Amino acid sequence: MFIHYLDLSWRSLRRTPLISALMIAAIAVGIGITMTSLSVYHMMSMDPIPHKSDRLFHVQLNTMDEGRTWTTEDNLPYQLTYTDAMNLYNADFPERKTMSMRTGFSVHMNSSEVKPFLEGARATGREFFAMFDLDFVHGASWTENQQINASPVVVINQELNERLFGGENSVGRQIYLDDESYEIIGIVKNWEIHTKYYDLNNGAFNRMEKIFVPFSLVVSKELSSWGNTNGWKFEDVRTFQDHLQSEQFWIQFWAELDTPEEQQIYSDYLRTYLSEQATKGRFERETVQFALRNVNQWLEYNNVVTEDNRVLVGLSFMFLTVCLANILGLMLGKFLRRAPEVGVRRALGASKRQIFAQHLVEVSVLGLLGGLFGIGIAQLGLWGVRQTYSYYSALATMDTYMLLAAPAIAIGACVIAGLYPAWLVCRTTPAIYLKTQ
Amino acid sequence: MLKMKNINKVYQTEKVQTHALRDFSLDVEEGEFIAVTGPSGSGKTTFLNIAGMLEPFTKGQYLLDDVDVGTLSDNQRADLRNQKIGFIFQGFNLIPDLNLYENVEVPLRYRGIKSAERKRRIENCLEKVGLASRAKHLPQQLSGGQQQRVAIARALAGEPRFLLADEPTGNLDSLMARQVMELLEDINREGATIIMVTHDAELARRAPRNIQVVDGQLADFTLYQSRPSGVVTPANVAVEA
Ligand SMILES: Nc1ncnc2c1ncn2[C@@H]1O[C@H](COP(=O)(O)OP(=O)(O)OP(=O)(O)O)[C@@H](O)[C@H]1O
Ligand SMILES: [Mg+2]
Repeated sequence: MFIHYLDLSWRSLRRTPLISALMIAAIAVGIGITMTSLSVYHMMSMDPIPHKSDRLFHVQLNTMDEGRTWTTEDNLPYQLTYTDAMNLYNADFPERKTMSMRTGFSVHMNSSEVKPFLEGARATGREFFAMFDLDFVHGASWTENQQINASPVVVINQELNERLFGGENSVGRQIYLDDESYEIIGIVKNWEIHTKYYDLNNGAFNRMEKIFVPFSLVVSKELSSWGNTNGWKFEDVRTFQDHLQSEQFWIQFWAELDTPEEQQIYSDYLRTYLSEQATKGRFERETVQFALRNVNQWLEYNNVVTEDNRVLVGLSFMFLTVCLANILGLMLGKFLRRAPEVGVRRALGASKRQIFAQHLVEVSVLGLLGGLFGIGIAQLGLWGVRQTYSYYSALATMDTYMLLAAPAIAIGACVIAGLYPAWLVCRTTPAIYLKTQ
Repeated sequence: MLKMKNINKVYQTEKVQTHALRDFSLDVEEGEFIAVTGPSGSGKTTFLNIAGMLEPFTKGQYLLDDVDVGTLSDNQRADLRNQKIGFIFQGFNLIPDLNLYENVEVPLRYRGIKSAERKRRIENCLEKVGLASRAKHLPQQLSGGQQQRVAIARALAGEPRFLLADEPTGNLDSLMARQVMELLEDINREGATIIMVTHDAELARRAPRNIQVVDGQLADFTLYQSRPSGVVTPANVAVEA
């Protein structure tokens, strides 16, 4: 019967091509706009590392004088000082933890083939790759020794490897960063995430770095931060050494804590650590304040999905409702004009339920067609977003979920809009239309 | 099979109240073939519609196969209609989007008959009404008489136990009308109960039992015995008068 209803729907659509086209267009536009905003929202709010987002914790410490405020809701600075980052990194617990910082280099190959170009890079600990699920295609992360000795080694991603070496295994080869030669020791897969959750300093949706170097190089090569550096008091910082010893915040710190027990142990450790630092006279504080936020809490805390975005999604759904109201009107007209035919069907033995089902299938077909065209419109919309805001380029795409959601939402919406007309038409009294010749 | 007792049907429109049937009572036995005559507007179609459960009635009692129709839900009525009753409407009421084959198929689909069996019945019935070669045509490509025959085929295909026919020959020439009458007589012989409204006195006479509806009431009179067609009895003349 379902196939038969599909067939009837198709004929009905073809019988009134103009009205059908109008209805499909209305759904398509509504769905297109809704899916455009919903796709961006979906990408923004997607968990970037679902299987361990509740085990990766961003560390925040309050190492300011009592009474000092910060721009955050809880007055905690986003980043750490060099002193604290090193102390936490050198502690025994937990096993996986890392500081990291965005920097950058002018990259060249000491040949005329590749022109030098400026490229962002991440200075970090050797645990970074394992913590954030960056898999190696070739080679591996730097060794403990290389890290301690600040060896000139570098890990690059596949994209950069493609650009510089045509994609071949380049482990062991040299590249030049700021005119110094580095040995490539590993190549990682391209990072397919939409939110740069591990470092929100330069914007949540910026591109991931393609170059990774040991954090120890920050000191030996005096690498400067390409992110934010903030102070909370006046300090006479002249040399790089001053910078390292200052109370300025410029380093991100993450720890992997696998169980609630580990989280408790680490909290206790941080509490003790902060009290110790206060007694050393670095800052004047009675109350100990710190925060461990897992990935999703961290994104929430940083308002990665802004209120504007939510409003936009809400508005586009309202627009969809308006489209649906129009469709409801058109369907009402169309279905009621068919009342005589329904009367005949009822007289020939169709139950109300069968008539109702037939009409719901018809609106579902409309919804499906509208949804498919809607995907086209959404693609156009997302293309527009990408053209206008290059910052959103990684976000303004539809993943499989959204591609499946589009027709599902369209059909759902059409069924809702079609319920009333279908109910009305299935209540047709069979006899009324049978008498007239 | 059918028992109507004091059925009343009142149509309430804005200003006028039409008493389409008043205290209408009728008993129909299984296997009967009844011709219904009466002036235009007397309530014949209304009677058929109520008999076919297409319309509710205002007052009275209607038993179909000892089931009180007044107590049935809409779905139960639809079921009964689908299983037992075939209609030939006064207007042909073919569905314009569907070709002849599909039009005849409609009641069979609602009855859940398998595709192969549907095909057999449809081809058979279209053959009977002489339209087998036009199975793929749409209703608007046919003459009025041809559409009438499709409507008949549609009613026959369901092999109903109870056939309600409202002017089934109204649009046919006398030859065709007689052929249709023969078809109806055939299925009556096979056991179907038939109630047929007609204005054609000659056809009415061929039916074993005649009833006349006047002003929403049964003008009761003699029950005719089966007799050879074309023989006009005095009683019959009296009915016509
Ligand atoms: N839906 C309706 N609303 C109001 N009045 C109606 C309705 N249907 C029928 N009537 C009225 O009921 C009366 C009986 O109508 P019905 O159609 O049963 O007559 P009929 O005997 O079939 O006539 P004809 O021979 O012309 O087909 C008529 O006066 C008609 O105007
Ligand atoms: Mg009539």
